[in-house]
Amino acid sequence: MAELMLREAILQTLFAEMERDENVVVLGEDIVGGMGTEGGPEAIGGIWGTSTGLYDKFGGDRVIDTPISESAIIGAAGGLGLTGKRPVAEIMFADFLGVCMDQIWNQMAKFRYMFGGKTECPAVVRMIYGAGLNAAAQHSQAPHGILTSMPGLKVVMPSTPADAKGLLTTAIRDQDPVIFLEHKALYAEKGEVPEGEYTIPFGHARLAHAGEDVTIVAAGLMVKFATKAAQGLAEQGIGCDVIDLRTTSPLDEEAILDSVENTGRLVVVDESPPRCGLATDIVSLVTNKAYASLKAPPEMVTSPHTPVPFARELEKAYLPSPGKIADAVQRTLAWK
Amino acid sequence: MQISEDALKQAYRQMKTIRMFEERLHDEIMTGEIAGFTHLYAGQEAVAVGVCEHLDYNDTIASTHRGHGHCIAKGCDVRGMMLEIYGRADGICKGKGGSMHIADIEKGMLGANGIVGGGPPIVVGAALAAKLYGDGRLAVAFSGDGACNQGTTFEAMNLAVVTNAPAIFAFENNHYSEHTGVAYAVGSKDIASRAESFGMKAWRVDGCDFFKVYETMGEVVDHVRAGKGPAAVEFDTERFFGHFEGDPQNYRGEGEIARLREERDSIKIFREHAAKNKLVSKKDLDAIDKEVSDLIDKSVEESRAAAPPTAEDVLTDVYIDYI
Amino acid sequence: MKNIKAFTMPKWGIEMQEGTISEWVVKEGQSFKKGEIIALIETDKISNEVEAEFDGVLRKIVTPSGQTEPVGALLGVFGDTDVPDGEIETFAQSFEAADTGTAVGRNSDSAAPAPVETSVAEAPAPSAPAISDTSFDNLNISPKARELAIELQVDATQISGSGRNGRITYQDVHQASRPDAAVDLGGALPVPADDESIFASPLAKRLAAMNGIDLKGVTGSGARGRIRKEDVFALLPDAGARPQASLAENADNTPQIVEMDKIRKVIAKRLTEAKSTIPHFYIRSDFDVENLLEFRRIGNKVLSTKASLNDYLVKAVGRALVEHPDVNVQVHDDKIHYYPHANVGVAIAAKSGLITPVVKNVDLMDISDISRATTQLIKKANTGKLGFADLEGGTLTISNLGMMGVDQFDAIINPPQGSILAIGGISRVMTEMEDGSGEFRSKLSVAMSCDHRAIDGAAGAKFMATLKSMIEDPELFF
Repeated sequence: MAELMLREAILQTLFAEMERDENVVVLGEDIVGGMGTEGGPEAIGGIWGTSTGLYDKFGGDRVIDTPISESAIIGAAGGLGLTGKRPVAEIMFADFLGVCMDQIWNQMAKFRYMFGGKTECPAVVRMIYGAGLNAAAQHSQAPHGILTSMPGLKVVMPSTPADAKGLLTTAIRDQDPVIFLEHKALYAEKGEVPEGEYTIPFGHARLAHAGEDVTIVAAGLMVKFATKAAQGLAEQGIGCDVIDLRTTSPLDEEAILDSVENTGRLVVVDESPPRCGLATDIVSLVTNKAYASLKAPPEMVTSPHTPVPFARELEKAYLPSPGKIADAVQRTLAWK
Repeated sequence: MQISEDALKQAYRQMKTIRMFEERLHDEIMTGEIAGFTHLYAGQEAVAVGVCEHLDYNDTIASTHRGHGHCIAKGCDVRGMMLEIYGRADGICKGKGGSMHIADIEKGMLGANGIVGGGPPIVVGAALAAKLYGDGRLAVAFSGDGACNQGTTFEAMNLAVVTNAPAIFAFENNHYSEHTGVAYAVGSKDIASRAESFGMKAWRVDGCDFFKVYETMGEVVDHVRAGKGPAAVEFDTERFFGHFEGDPQNYRGEGEIARLREERDSIKIFREHAAKNKLVSKKDLDAIDKEVSDLIDKSVEESRAAAPPTAEDVLTDVYIDYI
Repeated sequence: MKNIKAFTMPKWGIEMQEGTISEWVVKEGQSFKKGEIIALIETDKISNEVEAEFDGVLRKIVTPSGQTEPVGALLGVFGDTDVPDGEIETFAQSFEAADTGTAVGRNSDSAAPAPVETSVAEAPAPSAPAISDTSFDNLNISPKARELAIELQVDATQISGSGRNGRITYQDVHQASRPDAAVDLGGALPVPADDESIFASPLAKRLAAMNGIDLKGVTGSGARGRIRKEDVFALLPDAGARPQASLAENADNTPQIVEMDKIRKVIAKRLTEAKSTIPHFYIRSDFDVENLLEFRRIGNKVLSTKASLNDYLVKAVGRALVEHPDVNVQVHDDKIHYYPHANVGVAIAAKSGLITPVVKNVDLMDISDISRATTQLIKKANTGKLGFADLEGGTLTISNLGMMGVDQFDAIINPPQGSILAIGGISRVMTEMEDGSGEFRSKLSVAMSCDHRAIDGAAGAKFMATLKSMIEDPELFF
């Protein structure tokens, strides 16, 4: 076991997989950094520190630093995937999904289906997402809801360094297109990471905290908040199951429903706005399939129906928090 | 330029197949039996065949919404294509793609694309893969004068130059992007110069003359296979039908189509050239005409009678493995 | 303040939360020129030099090298040489770091401990005016919610609506009308140590851990062989504990045959005899015990005793019996035994069965004596220590099933006793008082079974009347 930051776990996984399989190709903006400058390649080593040293080890044919052209990058990932390579493309800020949406939504996600099941596109698109660092409206969004709704894509949201390593390994080895969402505010998060290679299957949630009174469902950064809330509530004798989804597509429906059948109460935490999102998806799943077990209406703790604001106080008010989650738990318990 | 008689006959066969395939579809679509949108390639055959005769199955192409011609030229099964356009279970995409998404990856055909400009980025990826395979293979992106204005096309061209990827950007300028003329829509003097300004070598050629296309493409393909970087070609060509089937084509000039069919018919031009230079006999070409005609007839007959996919087929082939 | 400047932890990059001084290049008290390196600072991503932006003197080092501080924290103080040390000191002490906390950094909040008030008000007190159709005319309320509010007489104007723009929904009215939630909390549980090599759903793992089941090598019935909760149930030792659809069909219902023990045989024999040979007749009456209940409450306090209601009844019955000697009898074939004192039996549901020991000469006992006596008898009955003497000599037994939730019943006489009193439950009944007003009073249901061979109807009735008047006015039998 080693204690690693989440970003280090990602880097370690990329090294390991590129070593194991020569078909793995990495591409993105500034993933090497310094190309065409006096400082030379690796002057930056990737702005997030998740690709440092790859270029030096594997060379420019497999570690491709690109100009700022998301459509071309992601389209190229699609083309690489169709022709026998295993591309791992990076979108520096998930918000730039807007720039390359077509290549994900209309191309990569649909190749296999449109072509009658005769093609495979084992591409991974890593996107760095989420609010909490005052990066404001166009650099802080969480597009997992939109992406989960697209048939043909798998969507992964690790919440710990250990999960990041196992899930990214699975993503790279998976034959379908995978969107891998890394929360920028979790990059410095430390955790125990097992040595050696291992995979974590998709659609297999993790129980981050256990209790019999309320079920809290969360993904990504929200798992940390939910767990903190659960720990505080435990001191008041309230037991919470915190379900870390790990992947929103495919979804571990069973873990959610089994827990709600036990507790009868549901709180879903999601850092995106409330309409047509992950939270509404899970609430509707539970109300449809576990209605008879519910003792109170399900609660959602989401951001408001606004863009992400800039000022510290505003962003804090925008994001869910352990306090807001605890309040929601109390509301489910106060249902008369 | 050296091209054997057999190769010429093969090229003619391909061109004639495309022509008859498209002409026949034009008639069949009127019956209402074929669903959805279809975009016919008739008139541009010399480009598809002139390019693809230089490629083998390791080379990949991506097409546009007007993809039947590229598909046939790349060697895809004509019968399978007809079944697909008719939406049958045995179609080349199991009836799930249709005319706009027709593809056969085994033949190196990465699909027709319903999004204008959707192909070039994918082709750059295929070209990057080709570079890694290191055996001289390449990738061709067919675009129209419409896609030449799309941002994705520019991004792809720049990325190809910057990574020295073996990609060919083949622009078929048939003078209309949907219902708008090139004179209005393309701001620069032509398309090839755009590619040049991105830093790649560009050629211009008459797209209605197979022989000219074939000769030019020989140079282009050599350049790219030698690892000298991406290249672009602008073909001056014509389409005989509308943007889509059902297009009233009110934007055409008076007698324009009749004139095009008279003066800019690539099949006619081929035959004339072949006869003048005694490259292939008329008898042989006529025999090919008959064979192609029979093939098309048979394909249509079969497609009409073939079974459609079932409701359960909706759910398959989304993922390789889900839950 | 003369030329004093703070040197704080710089923020390099959007993610940087803290840094560590790896080396002070300029020493305390040293001067430096613009462009010179003051210190080396390390973050978890990079190590960088801090260059001086002006000429100055490092008057004080606040953060030594090797220490980690958040962005914005005071590292050192710059000042001109002529600034007194005291001022530098004051500056350092009173320095407040800027709030550089991010929503996710060190300053992010923890769980709020206090439960939150719900936004919906309680239903109003009953004295508010009746709620009718027109009560909510200008209220933003859904039609169904309005209906419900009127039906339940809930003042919707006091409700804070959860709908858009504060619209009151059916659910809001429903909630406002209900009593507070009473939740039975289970509390937190330990998260079972996770062995990721076992591919099972979280609940399945938890169930297995709870029941001590090892899932190694188990193939599940879920997708890709995932172990589900159903698979764990199938592995549980008492798989039959799970509800099965055909429980009724598969249940084994053959009876277990047990021979009556001696006591039960005796009871059976005696009661069969009693029911078939004694001509029972029944007198039923309801006694108003409002006064008795109060009397007992006070009496027990005053006398420092824990006499049960039954004990008071025993006393009353004892007094009534001596006033009606023709009821205070035992019947032996064609002989009637008239007793001078009252021996009252108390029916006890002992573990072995019904038993009726007798409290002797009740009319001569005060309430505390009676209480002690009955307590004793109950104890003896439950420990099987009742003797023959305890069981004989009674003329009337009191059998009380009221505490079992019974309204009323008729008892079987214990021969050779002359009668038995069956005490039912106490109910609250609207009673007309002397002044014509109505009041809820406690009523006790009593049924007397008499042996008609010795006790006539009139005798029984008179006895009951006396008993009733005593119980309704307890001072009469004290």
